[in-house]
Amino acid sequence: MSRVRLLPYQIGVLAVALAAWQATTQRRWVDPFFFSQPSAIARRIGEWFATGFIYRHLGTTALETVLAFLTGAALGVVFGFWFARSPLLSGVFDPYLKMANALPRVVLAPIFTLWFGLGVLSKVAFGVTLVFFIVFFNTYQGIREVDADLLNNARMLGASERDLLRHVLLPSALVWILSSLHTSVGLALVGAVVGEYLGAGRGLGYVIAQSEGTFDTTGVFAGMTVLAAFTLVIDLIVTGIEQRLLAWKPEAAGRA
Amino acid sequence: MISGGAYTRRVSAIEFADVAHRFALARGGSYVAVDGVSFTVAPGEFVAIVGPTGAGKSTLLNLAAGLLRSTAGTVSSFGRRVDGINRRAAYLFQQDVLLPWKTALDNVVLGPLLHRRPRAEADALARRWLARVGLAGFENRYPHQLSGGMRKRVALAQSLIVGPEILLMDEPFSALDVQTRALMENDLLRIWQDDRKTVLFVTHDLEEAIALADRVLVLSAGPGARIIGTHPVPLPRPRDVTEVRLEPAFQDIYRAVWRQLRGEVLRAYAASGAGVLGQVASGGTASAP
Repeated sequence: MSRVRLLPYQIGVLAVALAAWQATTQRRWVDPFFFSQPSAIARRIGEWFATGFIYRHLGTTALETVLAFLTGAALGVVFGFWFARSPLLSGVFDPYLKMANALPRVVLAPIFTLWFGLGVLSKVAFGVTLVFFIVFFNTYQGIREVDADLLNNARMLGASERDLLRHVLLPSALVWILSSLHTSVGLALVGAVVGEYLGAGRGLGYVIAQSEGTFDTTGVFAGMTVLAAFTLVIDLIVTGIEQRLLAWKPEAAGRA
Repeated sequence: MISGGAYTRRVSAIEFADVAHRFALARGGSYVAVDGVSFTVAPGEFVAIVGPTGAGKSTLLNLAAGLLRSTAGTVSSFGRRVDGINRRAAYLFQQDVLLPWKTALDNVVLGPLLHRRPRAEADALARRWLARVGLAGFENRYPHQLSGGMRKRVALAQSLIVGPEILLMDEPFSALDVQTRALMENDLLRIWQDDRKTVLFVTHDLEEAIALADRVLVLSAGPGARIIGTHPVPLPRPRDVTEVRLEPAFQDIYRAVWRQLRGEVLRAYAASGAGVLGQVASGGTASAP
């Protein structure tokens, strides 16, 4: 079914769910203290934007997400490339990388808070540990999977090792990195919000945690709604970037 | 070999002198692909090597290209020992090796850019080459937007634009349908006729080899493949690959080469199982026209 034809149904589902929520809490079948109310949540969000209260927090979360993604991706590309080109290095570090990747990263958040304080830096560090591995493994794979004939062809045309990097290896790895872009940007955001939730002075995660601390369910749901909308916007931006950079790919062209 | 005496006779574009190549296997041990291979290709000559699948035909090309180093004997090009990439040769691979993230134009322009030619000049040259292989107007298409035959044409332009003296071709048309293939072969002959590059063309298709080449070399089945026969093809040029096949002289050469090749194909078939079944069948039916 086409997207346009699905849209009325999608809106319908949301409308029914919101109406049921509103009705049941209005009639006190369900206690709004525990479940809040769509109208109250909408009012709260309106207040946040009207007073400008939310911008500071949104800005902090966005900054942390972007910094965590850029740093994690840069480190992932550099190390992924380095390891792919050096069998010794990848052989020696293989078990440690697998170990580090299997570790639930949440346990690192308190340590990072201890090391880097309550500010932006500890959230960025936490996000980096999430983003790094995704980009690292994709770069590694992308460079290892390059067709030997593609490299030989470029060599025959006169490419030096540097030229191979620029014209063949990095573009090839970029395909893999971009295919995981949604995941890695998403994880950067998760890193920021979880970090804020566990201890911060500002940010969306902090807003939600504060509301929870005061049994303010309306605040929690309002924070979640803003966060969800923020995620959607980021996802749209990522899709736009992806389609620009992968214009040469048959699937990307067809999807647009 | 390289010094002194080499200059007393006309220098070969490619010379293999008692060349062997041994691959190390991943499980340990080694595999001798080719052994004791000697032949020469004169400048401007079109030589085809036929042999059963897995005989080491691609190994010979990789040795001539300098992508592989011989484990015994010497490979030389224009009197110089091939050590590292052979800068006087271009290579047309069997597989698609166009960079999928570059347009046809950007793929063709790659060679001149790698040779540090200015962008504008390289662009103009690439457009001329695309036109020469019949792809004017397709400059901005990505490889996946082109047909298999068109991709081969782009690859041909990409190899020839750097002005190589030798063109190494590894079954370049084997993935194409019969009609496209004949068109490509004729185009190749037309372009070759213009500037007479040295061509070393590897194929398992005997008809293709005879239709294109000045001389056909027969490679034995591996391991340790060697040249077991050389057959001159004195058919007049310019040739049309579909028509030349009907000439009696063509049939005679075909029979002579096939008589020699047949035993090797069967040997390769016995050694590797069903992999070459199709080849025996096509060779068998075509040998009785």
